[in-house]
Amino acid sequence: MTANTEPTYRIVVGYTADDSGADALALGARIAGATEASLEVVMVLPIEARGGVVPRDPGHERRVKEQAQAWLAEASAGLGRDVEQALHIRYADSFAEGLVAAAHEFGARLVVVGPARGGLFGRTRIGSVASELLHSADVPVALAPVGARKLPVAAGLTRVTAAVGGTPGIVLEASVALARRAHAPLRLLSLVPIDLPAGVDTGLVNLTSTVAAEQALEGARRELPAGVEASAVVATGQTIEESVGALDWEPGELVLVGSSRLAAPSRLFLGGTATKMLRELPVPLIVVPRAAQTS
Amino acid sequence: MTHDPANQRLAHEAHSHPHAPLTTASATVDGGDPGLSKKGLSAGSVGLIGAIVIGISCIAPAYTLTGALGPTVAEVGTQLPAIFLLGFIPMLLVAFGYRELNSAMPDSGTSFTWATRAFGPWVGWMAGWGLIAATVVVLSNLAGIAVEFFYLALAQAFNNPDIANLVGNPFVNVATCLVFILGATFISYRDMQTTQKLQYWLVGFQLLVMIGFGVAAFWHVANGTAFDPTQIELSWFNPLEVGSFSAIVAGLSVSLFVFWGWDVTLTMNEETKGSNSTPGRAATLTVTIVVAIYLFVAMGALAFAGTGTAGVGLGNPAIQENAFFYLAGPILGPLAILMSIAVLSSSAASLQSTFVSPARTLLAMGHYGALPQKFSKVSPRFFTPGYATVVSAIVAAVFYTVMRFVSEDVLWDTITTLGMMICFYYGLTAFACVWYFRKTWFRSGRNLFFRLIAPFVGGAILAVLFFTTLIDSMDPAYGSGSNIGGVGLVFILGVVILLAGVVVMIWQRVKRPEFFRSEHLARGVADRDS
Repeated sequence: MTANTEPTYRIVVGYTADDSGADALALGARIAGATEASLEVVMVLPIEARGGVVPRDPGHERRVKEQAQAWLAEASAGLGRDVEQALHIRYADSFAEGLVAAAHEFGARLVVVGPARGGLFGRTRIGSVASELLHSADVPVALAPVGARKLPVAAGLTRVTAAVGGTPGIVLEASVALARRAHAPLRLLSLVPIDLPAGVDTGLVNLTSTVAAEQALEGARRELPAGVEASAVVATGQTIEESVGALDWEPGELVLVGSSRLAAPSRLFLGGTATKMLRELPVPLIVVPRAAQTS
Repeated sequence: MTHDPANQRLAHEAHSHPHAPLTTASATVDGGDPGLSKKGLSAGSVGLIGAIVIGISCIAPAYTLTGALGPTVAEVGTQLPAIFLLGFIPMLLVAFGYRELNSAMPDSGTSFTWATRAFGPWVGWMAGWGLIAATVVVLSNLAGIAVEFFYLALAQAFNNPDIANLVGNPFVNVATCLVFILGATFISYRDMQTTQKLQYWLVGFQLLVMIGFGVAAFWHVANGTAFDPTQIELSWFNPLEVGSFSAIVAGLSVSLFVFWGWDVTLTMNEETKGSNSTPGRAATLTVTIVVAIYLFVAMGALAFAGTGTAGVGLGNPAIQENAFFYLAGPILGPLAILMSIAVLSSSAASLQSTFVSPARTLLAMGHYGALPQKFSKVSPRFFTPGYATVVSAIVAAVFYTVMRFVSEDVLWDTITTLGMMICFYYGLTAFACVWYFRKTWFRSGRNLFFRLIAPFVGGAILAVLFFTTLIDSMDPAYGSGSNIGGVGLVFILGVVILLAGVVVMIWQRVKRPEFFRSEHLARGVADRDS
C-alpha cells in the first residue's frame, strides 16, 4: 500500500444524529486530521419502497431528507473548518449496505461507525450495523468506542498498534501505511500465546507460546519496509480480556486487527480474539479485511 | 419535485452553515442521479403487481369484511351487495380529488395540509384531527379483531374451544390487545418492513382463503347442509329495497370503511417516472379484485347463513361484530383455522400500514407548528416519526381499553364511529380539492370532472352521510344498541372526538398562534393546470 502517493486519502463516516454518530464522526475527524485525509460524512436513509405493505409517500420522504440535511449541516458546523469534509445523503436497504456503497463511490480507505447503544463508556459494542459491515465490507472498518466524541480532534493519532497473528501481512501493511501517514509510532502486538487450544498443558503452552510469539514478532519485523521502526509487545495472560487489560494504551491510539472471515482456515483465531479484545479495549479498533489489500 | 418554502429554507441552511458541500444521490426523491442510483431506481418504483399487493394490503379485505359484514347486514339485510357497491361511489369520487391534491401538493400531512392550504388553519387543523382520530379508532378496532382471531386460531390449533372464550374476558382481551399494539408500535418505530415477496404470498393466501370460504358456503347451500339456505335474488343488488333512507345511510357509513385505504393505489406511483398508466391500472385492478371478493364472500355468507337472528344467522346481534369468527367453523369445518390465519395476517399488514398514517400526519402538523415541536421529531436511527408514533399508539391503546369496558360491542361501535370520521375528513378533503383548484375548473374537461364535479359530489354525499349518521346515532337503538344514559354511544363518541379536537385546537391557538396566523402554511389557490 503506497498511501503516501495517493492524491486524497478518503474516510467515510457513517453518521447518525445521535451519540453513536457523534462518536463515529469524532473518531473519523481525528483520524482525518492526523492523516490529512478528507472526510466523507454519509447519512444513509432507508429506501422507502423496500417493503410490500406501506405505500410510498414522497412528501414524507422529502421531509426526512430535509431533516437529514439539517442534521448533516449541524454536524459539519460542529466539526470546524480544519478538517476537509463533504456531506452526503445516500439511500440503501440497510445502513451497512449504504456505507459499503459509499466507500466504493468515494474510493474511501476507511469506514468509521459508532458503537451500538448500551455499551460501557470507553468500550466498543458491536451493533447490528457494525457486524453487518464486518461481514460485507471490503475496506477497513473503524469501530468507535462509546465516548469517542469526548476526545478532541487535536488529540491526533499518538500510536498505531498492529495486532499480528501468524500471518501479519495485510494488517501490518495497513498499520505501516497508517502510521506513516499520521507520523505516529508503530507498535507490534502479538496475540499468539492466547491462541492455543484450551486443555493443552500449561508449561507446554508457556514454552511453545513464547516461542511462537517471538517468531510471529520476528516475522512481522522482517516484513516491515526498510527504515520503519516498531516497538513490539507480547500479550500475556490467561484470557484475552486479561492480557488486553494488562497492556498500556494511549488515549490517542488505534489498534488494527485482521478480519476473521477472510483469514486462512488455520488462522481463524482472530475472529473470536478480536471480539474478546473489543470488550476490554479502551481505544478504537480498525478491522482490516484481506480484500483491502489493494494496489 | 415541488419546492415548498420550508424545503428551500432548509436546503439553503444546509449550504450556508456547514463547511462542506452536500451531495444527495437518490432515486427515491430526486430521480436519476448517475452512479449510485441504479439500485435506488429499481427499488424506488413499484410495479403493477407490487402496487396491487400494497393496495389490497391496505384495504385488508379479510379483516374489513369480518368487521363490516354484520353491522351492514344489521342495517340493510340482504341488500348487503347493493350497499357495498353503492358505498364505493363516494370513495371513488373523493379519491379522484385526493389524487389531484396529491400531485399538486405531495405532503405527508395529506388532508391536514391540503385543507389548510384551501380553507386556512382552522379547517385544516380539524381535517388533520379527523384523519388522526379515524386512524386511531381503526387501529384499536384492528387490534381488537386480531385479538379475537388470535385466540380463535389457538383454539382451533389445540382443538380446545375454551381458549376462544378467553376473548370474552375483558382483562385478558385488553392485555392481549395492548401487547399487539405494542408490537405494532415497535415494528412501526423501527421501520421494519415486510418484504414484498412475503407480502405477495400473504395477500395471495388471503384472497385464496376468501374465495375458498365463498365456494364452501355455496357448496353447503347446494348440498343442503347450509345453516339457513337463502335463495340469491336480484333484489340483493337493489338499494331501493332496503326500505328506509336512514338504513341506507347507516349501511353506507359502515361500507365506506371496507374501501378505505384503496386510494393509496391511485397516489403511490405519482412521482415514479415513466409509469403514467401504472397507478390507474393498479387502482382499477385492485378495486375490481376487492369488489369481486366482497360480493362473492358476502353473497356466500348470506346464502349460507341468511339474515335470521338465531345461531349464526347474520341477523344475530351476538355474531354481527365479527362475522367470520362465528362463520368460519360452520362453513370451512376443519380448515377454519386458515380463515383465522388470513384475518390475522390481513390485520397485521393493515396495522402496519395504518400506523404510518397518523404518525406522518402528526409529524407534518408538528413541522408546520400546528402541534408542539416534539411531534416533528424524526428518529435519528430509524428515520420514523418516533414521538408521533408512540403518541398514536398510546391513544389507540387507551381508546380500546376504555371502549372495552364501556361498550358491549366495541368492534361494532368503533367501526360505526370510524365511518363517521371518514365522512368528516374525506368530505373536508374533497371540498378542499374543489376550492383549491377553483381557478382551474374550466380550463379543460378533465379538470371540470376531476377537480369540480367528482370531488364535489363525493364530498356532498359524505357530508349528507355524516350529518344523517350524527343525528340518527343519538337514538340509543342505533347500530349495536350501545348507549350511555339513553344516548347512542356512537353519537357520544363522534361528538366527544370532534369536540376534543376543537378544545385541543383552541389550546394550540393559544400556545402556537403563528400557525393560526398562517405564518408557516399559507392559504393558496392553484392557478396552474398541474
